Amino acid sequence: MQVFIAQILNGLSIGSVYMLLATAFNLLLLVAMIIHFSYPQVVVFCMYIIWLVLKITNNNVFFGILAGVCSAILFNIVSAPLFQKIMKNREEVDINATMVLSMAIGWIITDVLSHAFNNGLPIQFPEEITGSKPLFRVGLISILPGQVLALSIGIIVVAGFFILLYKTKTGRAFRAIAEDPAGAKLVGIPLVKTGFQSYALSGALGGLTAVLLIMLFHSASPGLGEQVSHKVLAVSIVAGLGNLVGGLVVGLALGILEALVQGYISGNWSNAIAFVVMLVVILVKPRGLFGVKV
Amino acid sequence: MPLSLYYFLSITAVNILMSWALYVPYRVTQLHFITIANMMISGYLAGYLVLHAHVPFVWALLIGFAVGGIIGFIVSLFIGDAPTFSVVIVGFTSIYITRTLVENLPIIGGTMGMFGLPNIGGNPGTHRWIILCILYGLVILCGFLIYRFDHSSIGRAASAVFVDKELASSLGIDIKKLGMLLQTFSCTLAGGVGVLYGFIYRSFHLDFFSFALIGVFMTVLFVGGYSTQWGPLIAAPILYGLPLFFPPEVQSWRIVIYGLLLILVLELKPEGFITRKFVHSLGLSFSQKREKEIYIKEEKQ
Repeated sequence: MQVFIAQILNGLSIGSVYMLLATAFNLLLLVAMIIHFSYPQVVVFCMYIIWLVLKITNNNVFFGILAGVCSAILFNIVSAPLFQKIMKNREEVDINATMVLSMAIGWIITDVLSHAFNNGLPIQFPEEITGSKPLFRVGLISILPGQVLALSIGIIVVAGFFILLYKTKTGRAFRAIAEDPAGAKLVGIPLVKTGFQSYALSGALGGLTAVLLIMLFHSASPGLGEQVSHKVLAVSIVAGLGNLVGGLVVGLALGILEALVQGYISGNWSNAIAFVVMLVVILVKPRGLFGVKV
Repeated sequence: MPLSLYYFLSITAVNILMSWALYVPYRVTQLHFITIANMMISGYLAGYLVLHAHVPFVWALLIGFAVGGIIGFIVSLFIGDAPTFSVVIVGFTSIYITRTLVENLPIIGGTMGMFGLPNIGGNPGTHRWIILCILYGLVILCGFLIYRFDHSSIGRAASAVFVDKELASSLGIDIKKLGMLLQTFSCTLAGGVGVLYGFIYRSFHLDFFSFALIGVFMTVLFVGGYSTQWGPLIAAPILYGLPLFFPPEVQSWRIVIYGLLLILVLELKPEGFITRKFVHSLGLSFSQKREKEIYIKEEKQ
């Protein structure tokens, strides 16, 4: 029973990270109309930036986090014109082409990380940012600060995101574009400006997620982004592409599933089993459990 | 034959064939990355059969093709008409699952890989010639089949699906059946190429089937041009050959170069370098030239 509870706690914290990533991914999909497949790779890139800044500033956590969030926002805004150009080229939104472009960005990030940082070896984060000492421990159950923060920040950020979406003018613009881009343009919503806002917002979410991933994993490797991006795309498809609520549910469920498999099955089968489950769902329901919203 | 030339020729052929394996289902907007998993499954299976069960290479190769086709057909029953992103993620998840299986099966070498595959034909020289003959025979055969497909009514149906699925459906095209056909062909091809890929090096290792491989095939397809079969055929030797002239420290950044090239092409020439229009105008100018030559000949006579 203790293993079960411990793994559920682990699963909830990892699940909240998937939840954040899926939310940002869906935001870009709905508002900017791109499949930013390599978005999690951008997040891992920010983890490396945080590692670099921590190294330079002698483990100053504030500067590290600031650099992580700023670099994520900057990266997203700088890459936005590339996606916009593709859409302009084709005279209509071509989601497949944006996915291929995003994949290319992802390969570049992964290859740069494996060549230019730490000789391609995994990086370890200092205790100043990971907070490795458990807050609470009973038998096998221990609660780490990273887990508490991941879950609480996950819930707060997602709640804040939904308030923004449903209670503010910007949120209404986001929803209008997601519902009907042509109609939104007709009533005077600036598509490009709102699109850029979604890039900036998803960048900020990405920076925060990078910090949470550091607190949960304590390390990062160049291949981490690829693995997470495949999971996030799978979560979004299983949930139904563009379905925000579905993304939250499936993200949390994936985290719990992975943690339970890790708790009860030895070796490196946890990823494979999670992928088998998602593969079966996608094969049976290629348009997702909760319905596609794009 | 020098080893470097052998590797250049054989890997170029693999790149052409695998880019075609992506090109065919992309005719109905499906990026079918399960082909990489199929390469792995058929390759390792054939390697095991040859090495441990002493099955002749030819049979192992045929089994590789068949296994690839069967997997492709079964999967296509579910995703024959699925949206692009679903097909993409089915491919990625299949690669992960297959990699984990290979890692955890000591009988096929696990993380260490499978080494010591025999020379076909007895000695290394003959082995290389046989592999090259099979690979380029396959390039000619597949090239012919894809050419016939592109110029058939099914090819035109695929073009209609690429432009507008709903319109194609209202014209009576069975999108699912078409998708199933193309996916099965693509997976069959990938299965056989997977076997040959391992026999080029006479070994199988997980690193041969990394996600970077998708990057290479995608770059060949999109830079060459995804709207005709000629794009990958022209781009594969250039894209594989050019980096070989770079200094080793630049060569190790090959994937970054490919990624940048792909981004540039998507931005500046979205259909790639060899487009249908280009092929058509080239054919037209050749036929006009020929007509002129015939006219001049007749005039002289």
